[in-house]
Amino acid sequence: MSETQEDIVKKEVILTGFGGQGIILAGRILGSAAVIGDHRNSTLVQAYGPEARGGACSAQVVISDGPIHYPYIRQPDILVCLSQAGFDKFINQLKPDGALLIDQDLVQPRGATVEAFSIPSTRMAEELGRTMMANIIMIGFLSAVTGVVSVDSARRTVTESVPKGTEEMNAKAFNKGCDYGLAILKGREKKAVPKAGA
Amino acid sequence: MTDLNIILFMCGWGPHAAYQILQDNAAPIPEEIKMVRIPCAGRISKALLMKSFEMGADGVILLGCEAGSCRYGNGTTNAQEHVADTRGILGLLGLGKERLQLANFLPDEPERLLSFLKDVAEQIRQLGRSPIPPGREWALSDTSDEAVSRVVSAHDVYACQECGKCSSACPLTLAGKPFSPRAIANAVIAGKVNEPAVRKDIWSCLTCGLCYDRCPSAVNFSEFIRDLRCLLTSRNPDRYAAHGGFFHSLMRTMTEPELHPDHWGWLDADIEIDKQGKTLFFGGCAPYFDIFFRKHLSVNTSASLVSSLRLLNFFDIYPNLLEQERCCGHDLLWSGDRENFLKLAKLNQEAFQDLGIEEIVTACPECYTTLNRDYPGQGIHLDLKVTHLFDLLEQEIDKGAVDFGKLNHRLTFQDPCRLSRFENRPDLPRKLINRLRPIRFTEMRDKGASATCCGNSAWIGCDGFSKALQVKRLKEAHATESDVLVTACPKCQIHLSCAMEDPFRGEDLKMKVMDLTSILANTIQWE
Repeated sequence: MSETQEDIVKKEVILTGFGGQGIILAGRILGSAAVIGDHRNSTLVQAYGPEARGGACSAQVVISDGPIHYPYIRQPDILVCLSQAGFDKFINQLKPDGALLIDQDLVQPRGATVEAFSIPSTRMAEELGRTMMANIIMIGFLSAVTGVVSVDSARRTVTESVPKGTEEMNAKAFNKGCDYGLAILKGREKKAVPKAGA
Repeated sequence: MTDLNIILFMCGWGPHAAYQILQDNAAPIPEEIKMVRIPCAGRISKALLMKSFEMGADGVILLGCEAGSCRYGNGTTNAQEHVADTRGILGLLGLGKERLQLANFLPDEPERLLSFLKDVAEQIRQLGRSPIPPGREWALSDTSDEAVSRVVSAHDVYACQECGKCSSACPLTLAGKPFSPRAIANAVIAGKVNEPAVRKDIWSCLTCGLCYDRCPSAVNFSEFIRDLRCLLTSRNPDRYAAHGGFFHSLMRTMTEPELHPDHWGWLDADIEIDKQGKTLFFGGCAPYFDIFFRKHLSVNTSASLVSSLRLLNFFDIYPNLLEQERCCGHDLLWSGDRENFLKLAKLNQEAFQDLGIEEIVTACPECYTTLNRDYPGQGIHLDLKVTHLFDLLEQEIDKGAVDFGKLNHRLTFQDPCRLSRFENRPDLPRKLINRLRPIRFTEMRDKGASATCCGNSAWIGCDGFSKALQVKRLKEAHATESDVLVTACPKCQIHLSCAMEDPFRGEDLKMKVMDLTSILANTIQWE
């Protein structure tokens, strides 16, 4: 029994930010993409109460090939932060080999033991015309960098989850985040061979 | 005897004396050699050497006096430089350096001269005929009223309101030249196209397009001039050409299908290309320019080709290259030689089709607008995507994770007319410049679509007024208190560097010229 449990790939993701940034929607898209697109199991716990009006808010998503017996997360494999408060609250719980993804303009990764994957998602969303799309950019970034859900399923789920008429714009935002993630991965790989200029 | 044509340009002093001794003794001078006696070997310019090959010479021999015995002082060194440069270009062109030979003789060396001539003749026999056939015919000019009025109607020049906005913007007029686009338009409408003054003006226009930008009736004066030139081109099209028509000869040579240029032989081995790739990098004529302008210190336009390829490799794009790349034909079309332009365009089209190319990337604004706009405009439909390198870079850099190293310079920018006006994309290079990290970037007073020309286009009509406008432009650049003039076209780099080499103004006009592509390639890094 214990052997089979180790074989099962299970990833635990915590997304945090302010209320209103679309953290819960991002969590739902992530879970749906895993279930509907990738045919895996997923749970979502939404944590927001009074915070929903601008305070800290978080979504806990578990994605697994096997059954999920417990939906709460104590030690996330992946931590996604769109606010400093969220980062400060959860950074100590991140696994030592976990992946940290932050909005570089909103979060200072003080005290993090892993190197963060940074993206100016809010700024990019502003450039695309709507700040509220930062979460979609982050999902694109997340799927490209960590592969916790496949990029195709995530993209499809994004266009199916957003309000009618905004699909194209959100797909663009998703691609932007995704491209940025791929570029970061490529950059890290290339940086292993230091070279100035092209 | 073979039917080869070997032209022997022979200085009338040392070598001719030796040659006369051979003639007096009825020595067996190879019969393929046709002698042209000239006053000094140093006066045979690169253009004349090239012209011989354009006209179908199988070999050219230049004979001068021994170093130190030149009557005019620097004839020997001039001849050496001209021959060295032309040989370099013959190499790139695939004609073979060996077809051009230089030697120096004293009057008392007839035997050595004879054995030299025999050796060269034998060498040319081994090489065989030049791929360029002799006696190619050029179209005669057609300036009938009907032809002219067809051009006038095609560009709706009748719409000219004589407001004079063109003249008030024209860089040539502002440089003091008695030249007015409006006056030319009206003279042509009035049927005065054959008047010498009007003809001269038609060949003086920079075709920079600033007048079109200002014209309230949207008369595209540059294209009007281009089409008039196509009517006027006669058997002697080089009369108004700069550099003795060298580049026009070079381009016309390239219209021969049997010629196999060696365009990329010099490229560093560490550049990765994909010989099966469907994306082609089209380099342009920079390697030829660098050889021709070797003496102008700062000109290194091939660096932009290498930088372009390095940047593509940086983003894991491995383009294909046309090993036998030819000119795009821009300068032929804009100097009125449509016939040869079309020959080149068709050869290029075939070459693209043979490789199955789906997208062409180029860093040269002239190649870009020619492939993108003029090919279809002249009936050559390539059926593929033409991309300017800057568009591709902007797209890749925008994906993120790319950064630029600090650049310890203050920059200003010279707009290329073909990109900023013809293609109306002045924003494109600026997006990239704004990503760089220089000390600062300051625009010149005339910028973007209003920028002043670098002084010449299509190697036609360069004169004192071109120089005057270049000086004005360089002063504008200096007024920004920048120390680097960034260019995005090899021609801008060449022309402005040329204007800086003014012995009377000394250091006043000097400024470091850097190509935008090279700056990008030298400072780009992964974040």
